[in-house]
Amino acid sequence: MPSSISHSDAHRAEVRGLREGALPPGLRQTASNRPGQAQPVPTRDIPAQPWVKIGISVLCAVTLLTSAWEWNARTNLGLHAGDIDDSAQAWAEQRRLADAAPVAIVGDSRILFDTDLGRFQQLTGVRPIQTSIVGTSARALLENYANDPKFHGLLIVGLADLSYFRPVGVGLGGPYLKNFGKNGKPSQLTGLWIDRFLQRYFAFLDSDYRLSHMAERLDHGLRKGTDSPYEEVWKISETFDHRQYVMWDQIETNSYLRAHARHAWNGFKGPKIPPAIAAAVVARSAEAVRRIRARGGDVIFIRPPSAPQLRINEDPELPKAIGWNALLAGTKAKGIHADDLPQAQNLVIPEWSHLSRKCATVFTDVYVRRLVQLTTRLKLRADAPPPLSRADCVPQRIASL
Amino acid sequence: MIFNSLTFLVFFGLVMALHYAPFFSWHQKKINLMIASYLFYAAWNPPFVILLWISTVVDWWAAQWMVRAKTERTRKLWMLTSVVVNLGMLGYFKYGGFLLSNFVTIAGALGVVYHPPGWDIVLPVGISFYTFATLSYTLDVYLRRSKPAGSFLNYALFVTFFPHLVAGPIMRPTELVPQFDEPRQAKPNQIFFGLALLTLGLFQKVVLADGFLAPVVEAVYDAHGQLPGMLDSWVATLAFAGQIFCDFAGYSTSAIGVALCLGFAMPDNFRFPYGAVGFSDFWRRWHITLSSWLRDYLYIPLGGNRHGRARTYAALMGTMLLGGLWHGANWTFVVWGGLHGLYLSVERWLKARFKGFTPGRIAILGLAVLTFLLVNVTWVFFRAKTFAGAGVVLKGMAGMQVKPEALIPFGPMIIAMIIVSAIFGTHLTMRNTTLEAVIERTPAVALAGIWTLLLFAVIIEQGQGSAFIYFAF
Repeated sequence: MPSSISHSDAHRAEVRGLREGALPPGLRQTASNRPGQAQPVPTRDIPAQPWVKIGISVLCAVTLLTSAWEWNARTNLGLHAGDIDDSAQAWAEQRRLADAAPVAIVGDSRILFDTDLGRFQQLTGVRPIQTSIVGTSARALLENYANDPKFHGLLIVGLADLSYFRPVGVGLGGPYLKNFGKNGKPSQLTGLWIDRFLQRYFAFLDSDYRLSHMAERLDHGLRKGTDSPYEEVWKISETFDHRQYVMWDQIETNSYLRAHARHAWNGFKGPKIPPAIAAAVVARSAEAVRRIRARGGDVIFIRPPSAPQLRINEDPELPKAIGWNALLAGTKAKGIHADDLPQAQNLVIPEWSHLSRKCATVFTDVYVRRLVQLTTRLKLRADAPPPLSRADCVPQRIASL
Repeated sequence: MIFNSLTFLVFFGLVMALHYAPFFSWHQKKINLMIASYLFYAAWNPPFVILLWISTVVDWWAAQWMVRAKTERTRKLWMLTSVVVNLGMLGYFKYGGFLLSNFVTIAGALGVVYHPPGWDIVLPVGISFYTFATLSYTLDVYLRRSKPAGSFLNYALFVTFFPHLVAGPIMRPTELVPQFDEPRQAKPNQIFFGLALLTLGLFQKVVLADGFLAPVVEAVYDAHGQLPGMLDSWVATLAFAGQIFCDFAGYSTSAIGVALCLGFAMPDNFRFPYGAVGFSDFWRRWHITLSSWLRDYLYIPLGGNRHGRARTYAALMGTMLLGGLWHGANWTFVVWGGLHGLYLSVERWLKARFKGFTPGRIAILGLAVLTFLLVNVTWVFFRAKTFAGAGVVLKGMAGMQVKPEALIPFGPMIIAMIIVSAIFGTHLTMRNTTLEAVIERTPAVALAGIWTLLLFAVIIEQGQGSAFIYFAF
């Protein structure tokens, strides 16, 4: 009987497994060459090359190339170190915190961009937990909280009407919700921490500027009928701690990127939402709100602004009467619509859907001052900073127009 | 933890530091490696480490009692204990829901309405791989191919050794346990070659599989009701052939590189499989450690080719059907395995029928292309989640879609086809050699340039830490 896995001097030579120099082809056997027997220690042949010299020169070359790439990212692409990107793991981290939080925010990208968490805290003393997700129906997130018995706080639901009332599907946030449990595993958490650490120092680490994404975007719609990557939404945001999204400054300053972002929205054109679908969405929302209230929580809806270039399509596709108004009536919840805030009119919306970085702070200031009037859960601090207005964010030359 | 994650890079750095620290004895270094391997596994789901312990302890003692047994019946009993415990755990976690849903379907067909409670069991990562690895230990001892391991630590480290733990190569104890007998230290050139292999594996996974091929595959296979035409169906399926190869071979190459850095030798798992001429050749090149495992512990015990033609074909089909099921608890995988079984059977029959036929160079090329195309047909069942989904793609491939839609953008399509052509061409030209032999003939400057480009591409692709496809098996 072969003694191939017991310790014995006789086998020492053959258990090394590593061999200097490549074996001639045909001599490196695998298990497929040895049917029905105990497989011996495999042989790994090391090609005769100056590997140490090669490795060190590769290290130097890669360091140089990466440095050049980083320089390019900062100077030509306008990326910044410290923009820590968002991810399903980062969302899961905030979502776990939201269970014990007095105030949490859900919604799509508009409330995500348009809420300055720091300003919110300056005004109320409470830093809300931001759990909105880009390209995602706020309704799905509202239901996620409704199904969570641990949440008892105030839920701010920020919505873009068409996204909220879409008949089916969650949107881009589907995997976030589906993999919520998985995204709290030790390996996911450590990955998140290391990734954040590196992104504080390297600007080129940006998921929108991966090699494959940049290559695919060279296709400017060459094949009719397909969704060219060129037509997709490119980078428009920067993300900081606590999932604080802000408009990427390049969208405000680079006319090509701004025009592309506007183009990608395609004017929010789409079919009209049938009244029956809208009514069904209101009914589901009412049930979700009822469940949150039943355990002591509350819900307030917010509709952030969008530019007239989008409203021209948004409003006819879902008239306010069967959308926003019906939602508030059906859920018996309070709401803040950007149209109803005089100080939030004509703010800067560079790509028509999300506020500029400065105007997001102004909008937050305006809506939080209204919010404290609608709920007893939040109070304006005695030492709250003075109110902001359009003049605080709209460039002087535009403001005077 | 996955190789293409930042967490792994930090983990691997620490493991290397501990492994090469001068103040630890070899015994302590093995303990360090085992603790690191448990951490590697627990990083997904700590409670599932218990399954590893059960598997380790049961098989260790089963083998010990097997050699002490005085009768053949007792030996068999201990072997069966090991098989039942290992396959029981695999069956419960991997096939429980599948069996239940099939039971409900059959009961329904017989007029019995049964509503079982939901089967919400999480599949432990890599359970199929380590179950097969540990089973080979007790089976080899039972079949008297090897003696039990001399030390529990060596055996436990064989089971948990992190480079092969979750997605292979499926190692046999005789391949790895002897390597733990004496101190392992890789020389500097071995470490750097190991790092080069790790880079190659990561490039295949992060850049090719995830970055460029997966989106093309998803555009068709996850199209949700849109009907692909002939071009889109073939491009997506060819792209999947590239994706699954780069994903899995990338993992194996990374694993071999990681083990090499620590001074251990792991077996080849892929040998340019798309350069195969025929299906028996394909299975000698694709997932070699699984195909040889199935051959040694399933096909041969089922009779192999020693009991006449009919029994041989039955053993072949049975092995491939179960091999298909090993990949996933879904009938689509069974069909995938069945198709390969059918191909192998037809090939066997043809070889017997045309015994004297020796193909020339052109014929070999034609047969290689035919093999590749037929393998692609099987990939449809491997990738599609349902038979309906597979039917849509197959209909598209046959050009029978009435109103096909364009689904893959031109740019990604071209890039994917360039990559797949390069993979196919490389496999064809390298089918009779090894990577190491080719590297040895390549000028060092060119090697440095290629390695630089691969590593730089991995860095700027960034990756999103997506799991390897085979982790789900």
